[in-house]
Order: sequence, then structure tokens, then C-alpha cells
Amino acid sequence: MGDGEPMSQSSPDTQRPDKQGNARRRAWLKEAVKAGGRWNGAATGLLCLDGLAAIGFAAALAGGLTSLEGGMEAVWPWLVLGILAAAGRGVFSTLSARAGAEAARRAKTVLRRRMVVASLAIPAGERPPVGSLMTSAVDEVEALDGYIARFMPARMAAAVVPFLVLGATALASPFSAGILAFTLLPFVLALALTGGAAADQARRQFDALSRLSSLFADRVRSLPTVLSFQAEGRETARLAGAADELRRRTVKVLRVAFLSSGALEFFAALSVALVAVYAGFNLLGLLPFPAPEALDLGRAFFVLALAPEFYAPMRRLAAAYHDKQAAETAADRLEALEAMARAPDAGARPIARAPAIRFEDVAVRFPGEDRAVVEGFNLDIAPGQVVALLGPSGSGKTTLLNLLLGLAPLTEGEVLVDGLALSEAGSFAPSIAWMGQAPLIVPGSIAENVALSRQDAPVEAIARAARRAGLGPMLLERPGGLDAVLDERGAGLSGGERRRIALARALLKDAPILLLDEPTAHLDAEAEAALIPVIREGAKGRTTIIATHSERLAALADQVVRLD
Amino acid sequence: MSSPGRLQQLLAAERARQRGRFIIAGLAAATVSAASVLLLGLSGWFITGAALAGAAGSASAHAFNYMLPSAGIRLLAILRTGSRYGERLVGHDAALRALARIRPALFSSLAAAPPARSMSLSTGEASARLVQDVDAVEAHFVRLSANWGMVASIASGTALLLLAGIAPALAAAGIALGFLLLAHLLANALQARGRAAQRAAGRLKEDFATYAAAASELRAYGLEGWAAGRIDERSQELASAQSRVTAGAGWFELGQAVATGLAAVAALGLSYGGPLPMAALAALGAAMTVDGVSSFARGLERRGTLREAEARLESMLDAEIPPRPSRPLMDAAPAIRLSRQDALLRPGEVVAVTGPSGCGKTTLLETLLALREVEPGRISLGGADLAMLPPDVARRCFAHAPQDAALLAGTVRDNLRLAAPDASDGELWEALRDAALADRVAALSGGLDAWLGENGARLSGGERRRLVLTRAYLRPAPWLLLDEPTEGLDAATEARVLDALQVRLERTGQGALIVTHRPGPLALCGRVVALGGREVAGPALVPMIG
Repeated sequence: MGDGEPMSQSSPDTQRPDKQGNARRRAWLKEAVKAGGRWNGAATGLLCLDGLAAIGFAAALAGGLTSLEGGMEAVWPWLVLGILAAAGRGVFSTLSARAGAEAARRAKTVLRRRMVVASLAIPAGERPPVGSLMTSAVDEVEALDGYIARFMPARMAAAVVPFLVLGATALASPFSAGILAFTLLPFVLALALTGGAAADQARRQFDALSRLSSLFADRVRSLPTVLSFQAEGRETARLAGAADELRRRTVKVLRVAFLSSGALEFFAALSVALVAVYAGFNLLGLLPFPAPEALDLGRAFFVLALAPEFYAPMRRLAAAYHDKQAAETAADRLEALEAMARAPDAGARPIARAPAIRFEDVAVRFPGEDRAVVEGFNLDIAPGQVVALLGPSGSGKTTLLNLLLGLAPLTEGEVLVDGLALSEAGSFAPSIAWMGQAPLIVPGSIAENVALSRQDAPVEAIARAARRAGLGPMLLERPGGLDAVLDERGAGLSGGERRRIALARALLKDAPILLLDEPTAHLDAEAEAALIPVIREGAKGRTTIIATHSERLAALADQVVRLD
Repeated sequence: MSSPGRLQQLLAAERARQRGRFIIAGLAAATVSAASVLLLGLSGWFITGAALAGAAGSASAHAFNYMLPSAGIRLLAILRTGSRYGERLVGHDAALRALARIRPALFSSLAAAPPARSMSLSTGEASARLVQDVDAVEAHFVRLSANWGMVASIASGTALLLLAGIAPALAAAGIALGFLLLAHLLANALQARGRAAQRAAGRLKEDFATYAAAASELRAYGLEGWAAGRIDERSQELASAQSRVTAGAGWFELGQAVATGLAAVAALGLSYGGPLPMAALAALGAAMTVDGVSSFARGLERRGTLREAEARLESMLDAEIPPRPSRPLMDAAPAIRLSRQDALLRPGEVVAVTGPSGCGKTTLLETLLALREVEPGRISLGGADLAMLPPDVARRCFAHAPQDAALLAGTVRDNLRLAAPDASDGELWEALRDAALADRVAALSGGLDAWLGENGARLSGGERRRLVLTRAYLRPAPWLLLDEPTEGLDAATEARVLDALQVRLERTGQGALIVTHRPGPLALCGRVVALGGREVAGPALVPMIG
């Protein structure tokens, strides 16, 4: 289908585990977990208390059983202890789960914010599809939930609770405790083997999930196109292929995971049986070797009831192991995503007055592209001048504008703004008002949408910018005018109206550099003619660069540059 | 809900398909539960019996049959472990198989739904629905075997405890059922929390998609922090909703622990007066009976999430598909009559559509493509009212190059093959040349297999437009619908594109409706249809993509 490979190319690469990578990933996860603060410790502590209550419950059953012959008065205290211990288990494990969830909540919120910031800071030419970014910021961050809320407390508790149980067992029957301790080493080895085998598969399964998610999002977004080419059948088949691939990978992961957890369970059951057989034969006096201790019913029953609790924390750990794998996979992907982000340069400090701009032998080449978009470009712009960039599509007009914003890499040469070097400043964004080809429309009023470029702008300034951008007739038609509310997609806005909102936004920002990218595209001749004086007005007192195909618009420029 | 919705029908059909696997998983779950109850009961009985026999002296000890119980214990341990592996693997496999068919079926239903329904889904929300909601349904499918485990647990527990007496058996069964009732009530009370969390996740994705799609503009105005803050609010809402779900789940945990303890203690106490080994059997068996129903009870905890997911998927699917009389496919190129403009467009005519921005030029093309509803009597196609034609019949008459240059995430080839699945590379290159794009594609690393990124992010606006034009060329339809085909092109490229278009139209005999206000394309057109005034357009059904 030609779909699998490119999709994974464009999503963050997942690396095979190596020592250095493991160390880095561990450090990354540790950092992420830290945000949970003391709740991490609380979850573990409460889980250990749960282990103590389990010991109490086993004691209550054993005590109750042995005192049954002594009359109901002797039994009651044990029964009460049993109910209290059981309730204690419930309370402790509930509180532990809540503490773990709270730790996870804090860590996830912090991490998600980091990922959102990183996603938005990936330069235009290198950005993965929105669907893939969304999977990272929402679902992959969510993968840390199980790691923090379940795996981490389980791992800590697994290092403590078995020894509490072992101690309690040793009080009743040192030999049984010895049997349990003896089985500990092979059990832990089996546990460790469980992990490695499944990790690789889990990683691939996560890739498949991300691919399916991207594909769904894209095809639903493109549904009008798919429908107009009557390709719904073929695209459904493609989705079916992706869904089936996900199923096959998931089953592979599960087969390994279930097999290893089954092995652990079987091993634990055999160990408990060993204790049971020892206790039984000891009680019968039929041990084939000299009895190391004299057991009675109470002790034997206590040991037997407690034995499964020796393995329970480790089995809980094994059950939470896929949480660890999911978190590690997510950690690799999120780390790669963060690495793609180019920390937004603070940029040169805002320039007060319309500056001179000078391009010297500028070349721009996006990473992974074999062809430079712009090469050997030279241009001198005097302060306050209006320059029109004309040229065939793909000649790099938009890229030159993006360069000033720090959205395209300066591969060679230099751009000087009032003598300030772009290579040092990184971007001149603080001094730039900009209008692009795909305006952002957010849910909210038209005024709020215009004011995105200057959020503290007074109402009159917004109204003035809207009027100057030619939004007047549209505002008159809508109830509420500037306060008319737009939904997420700006339903009901024509292409031209969107451009005017973006233009109003550019005019509202009090910046000495004005960059306009195709400001009159999609407008009919009449509307374009009406807009040209508005642009000329807006350009007053600003150094202005207009990327356009319109000769009529270019006619207002002081200088016309033809790219080829 | 009086009659099952389309989703329920779909789920039922897939459940029926996987019935064999679900039954195997259920039987395995029942075996696990019964084996657990018997294993613990038997162990308790064995130890206690051994203790009594040992205390009674060496003769009784030798008379005590330890072979059978200890063999039983081993058998049950193996049976439990093996069955649990089988239950998990087969249950998950069945659920995954069912869901791998349900996902595409959902997309297919979405494509068949009226455009107003299917296209009102935005990127983030749509993806949340299709992926996350389907996952919730899948988790439910996985849990189906727990029903069998629950029944087997109560049945085997009650039967085993009857050996110790009627009272312990009734107590254990009663406590297990009481726990289930409590879980059911809790699940109902906590449903709203699960739904809220699901919705919060959808809103987070929706907002994230909106802002991530506009990352360049955010950078330009230094709005990244602001946008991150808006997304962060959604993230916090989701986190709080999830905390409430966890808090709710805690009650199940508490209930289970108390019920287990209560059952064991009650069975022990009620065995008073009976033989000691039977009391041990009752206590441990009762504890395992409650344990066996707990995975079913924990499934109830997810009820809110499931109902929410189902409701949302259902609302996506349940739209009435308007019944249209099926007609034989039109074989000849049909004429188009626009009654409002009183224009009859004959096959092969090249027609310009003009008018001020916002007058509905794009809407007209989308209406012809049955992407929008049309009033009866407004447009006819080949003599038939468009409103009465099945969408497929209308769509096969047109090759569309939309204004918003919507491309699929995929390669150049993927995008072109959308129009012509069987086209050879030669045909693809020829169409690319006609759109003056062949040189650019040849320069891309990978050529036809170059990955374009989402919505053709690697191409400039003009290049995307020409790729969309290429795609329209490749579709052998009697009419081309070109929406501002040369907008954003420089004069030289525009001239090349239009020359090639003219040659193409003469060669293929295709008609064309060209939305434009530029002199170049207008010169190509034999006539002009002017859409006057501002028509009241319906809500924008087609996602606007820059």
C-alpha cells in the first residue's frame, strides 16, 4: 500500500534499545515521574500497609479456625480481627491507588504541557502530521499513567512486602520461610525474563497504533475528497489493512505477555503447593527427613494462607510490566519529538522604527531536502520601503518571509535588520506583523480572533483594524458585529473573509515590519482593488515585504523583486 | 432505545462472527473460577485434615489419604494456570478480530452518511471517536468472558460450601451476590464520571489538533505560550475527570476487600460445630468465590466509559440515509441544468463560474458532487433532478479540483491514485506535465513516491493546487470541476497550465466548470455563468483547510 513506511518515517523514530539509550530513557522517565512529588512515596507506603493487613487476615483465619473448638466466645475476637484486616486491605489499596493516580495526574499534566510546547515549536518543514502529534501529546503521555500509578508503587512494594511476609512466616515456621526464600531467586529471574522479550514487540505495537490513529484522522479529514473521487471503498480497505495489522501486532505482544505471566502464576502455585505438602506431611509426622520443627494446625494454616501473599506483590509487578513497556516506548517517542522542537528563539528585541533589511547571499535548505529552496539571494530594503516578491510558485517567496520569523533555517549567508544579524538573533518575530496563507480561526468572537496578534488591544483599535482590513460589510451582516461568535472552523466564513481577519490581525500588531503572504489570493478583482489601498495604508511607516502573484498588488510596491 | 441502533447491530454481527472464540474464552474463564475455588477449599481441608490425623497418632496419620488430595491440588493448580492463559489469549484475540472489522465498517458508514453529519466532525474529535471510543468497545469485548467466570464462581463456591453446611454456602453466595449488586449500583452512580472523562479527552484532542495545525501562525505572533495554555486547560480538565474516575474505582476495590473478608469470616463462623477441615474448606472457598466474581464486578466499573463511547459512535452512525430511488448509471456525458441561473450546460462546454467572494461558487461545485444537500428542482443532471439521484451517480460525472487543495497524508502516487487506481506511471507523469508540475515532482527525493506530509505540507500552495489539478485530470469523468485552478500561480506557470488544459479539453472532449475571476482561465471559457448576490449558503460542511 506504500503507506506503512513513509508514515513511520515522518513520526519520531523509535530506536532499538541500547545501553546509552536505556540510561537516557531512565533519566527521562525519572524526571517525568518527579512531578508527582510525595504522592509517589505515599502510593508505595500504602501498598506496604496493605501487605501488613494481609498478614493480619491470615492470622485471623488461622486463629479463628483453631479456636472453633474452644467455643464461640473464643472465635469472636478472631472474626472481628478478620473483618478489620480485610477492610484495612481495602482501605489501604484504595488509598494507594488514589495516591498513585494523584502522582500520575501531576506528572502527566506537566509532561503534556512540555509536549504541547514542543509540538508547536517544530519548524514547518519538519513537522509530523497533526494526527501523529496528537497521539504523542494525548495518548503517549497517557501511557505514563500506568507507569506512575501502578508500576512504580508495585516495584517499590515488591522490594518490601515479600520480606514482611517472609518475616511473619518465619515466626510461625522458619522452615516454610526457608522454602519461600529459596524459591525467590528463580522467581525473580523468571520475572526479569518476562520483561525483555516483550519490550520490542510492545514498541512495534505502539507504532502500529499511532499509524492507525494518524490514518483515521487524515482520512476523516479528507472525507470530502475521498467521496468526490468515489474512493471510499478503497480507503476503507486501506483502513481495514491498518486495523488488521494492529490486531496482529497486538496479539503477538499479548501472547508473550500472557505466557510469561502464566509462567509466573504457575511457579507461584507450585511454590505454595510445596509449602502445603511440607506442612501437611509435617503435621502427619510423615516427613522423609527429621522434622526441623513441630507445627500445629494454627501455624500450618497461617503459613499456607500467607504463602500466596509472598508472591502477590511480584505478580502485581509483573501485571504492571506492560505499563512500564508502554511508558518506555512512549518515552522514546516523546523524547524524539522534543528533540525535533527548535526552542523558539526569544528573537531580537522589538525594533522601534521601520528598519532597513538586507539579505546577503542567503540560502535556505530544509533538512532532508536535496534541493535548496532559495540560493544566493541578495536584496536591500530601505526603512519604510514596500517590496513585492514575485516569482513562480516554489521559488521561495514564502520561505524568505518565514526566514525572518525563524521558521526556516538560514543555511548560508546573512540577513541584517538594522544591522542586527539573523544568525545571532534567530528570529525577528517580535518586530513582525504577519499574514499567512492559512489563517488560524479559534472559537470565539471575531474581535477575539483579530486580537490574537495583540491580546491587550483596546476595542477601538480592534474595530479600526477590522475596518481597515475591509471586514466592515461582513460585520454589518452578522448579528453582534465584532462580537459575533465563530466556531472552531469558522463556519460560514468565505476564503476572502478569513484572509481579511488575518490581515486585520496583522494590522493590529504594532510592529515595524509587515510581512504579507499572498494577501489578495481568493479575492475577486473588485475586492482586490478595494484591498490594495488598505494594504498601502497599513504599510505606512513599516518596512513591508509582500509575497504575491498579483501584478496589481505588486504595483503598489516601491521595489519589485522577481525570483526565478 | 426501542430498536437497536446501527452500532448495536454491527457489534452484534461481529459478536456472532466470533461466537466460537468467545465461547472458548468463556469456558476457560469458568474453569479458572471453579478451579480457584476448589483449589483453595481443598488445600484448607487437606492441611486441617492432616493436622487432625497427625495429632491422633501415627496410625491415623498413615491411614490419612494424602495421595488423592495432593494430586488434586496439583491438577487444579495446572488447570487454573492453563485456563487463564487460554481465556486471556482467546478472549483478546476474538475482541481484536471483531474490532479490526468494526473500525473500517465505521469509516464506511461515515462515508455513506449524509454529508452534514459526516463532515461536521473536526480532525481531533473524529480521531478521538474512531480510535478511543472503539478502544472502549474493544475493552468491553475482552471482558465478555468474565460473565462466565462470575457464574462459575458462584455455582462452584456454593456447591463446595454445601459440604460444610447450608448456612456457610448461603452466606458465601449471598455475600458474592450482594457485592455484585453493590457494584451494579456503584457503576450506575459513577457512569457520569466515566462519560465526563471520555468527553474531556475528546475536547483535549480537538483543541490540540486546531492549534497544532496552525503552529506557523502561532510562532509568528508569539502565541505558542498562549495556545499551550489553552490546551493545558483542557489537559487539566481531563486530569481532574480522570481523578474522579479513579476515586470512583476505589469504592469497588474497598467493596471487594470487605466482601472477601466478610465471606471468609462468615463461612468460618457459620461452620461452628462442624468438622474442622470443613470449616477450613468453607473459609477459603468463600474467599475465592468473592474473588471469582470480582473481575466481572470491575468490568461494571467501566460502564460509564463504555456507554459514552457507544452513544457517540451510535450518533455518528444512526443518521437516516435518505432513500433515493436507484437509477441505472448514466452512460453518456450528461448535461447540467442550473434552474436558478436558467442555464443549460451541454456536455463538452467550458463554462466559467464567476461572482463576488462568498456568493456560493464553491458551494455550487460541492452541491454537484453531492457533498451538500440540494433542494429539489434546483439542479438537474442528464435530465434527472440532482436531489433524487444517488450520490454515486452524480459523483461519477465529475472530476473535482477543490480550492482548498485537500491532499491525503501519503505520497504523490497515493494522492494521484485516488483518482485513477489503475493508472500507469506514464499516465501519472503525463497528467503532471499537463499541470506543469512534472519538473517539481521529479526534483522531489523519491519522485512519485515522495512523502508529502499531512495535506501536502512539503509543497507550496501553488504546487498543492497543481497536484490537485493533476488528480482531477486523471479521473475519466465527463465534467471537470475546477475551483480557482490557477490562483496563486505566477503568470508564466498559469499560461503553461492553461495551454495544456485547452489541449487536454480538446482531446478528451470533457466539459468543464471553472470557478475563476482571472482573465487567463476566463479566456478559455465559451460562456460565463454569473452567480449574483449573496446566496444563503448552508453551514460550511467541508472542512476549511488552508
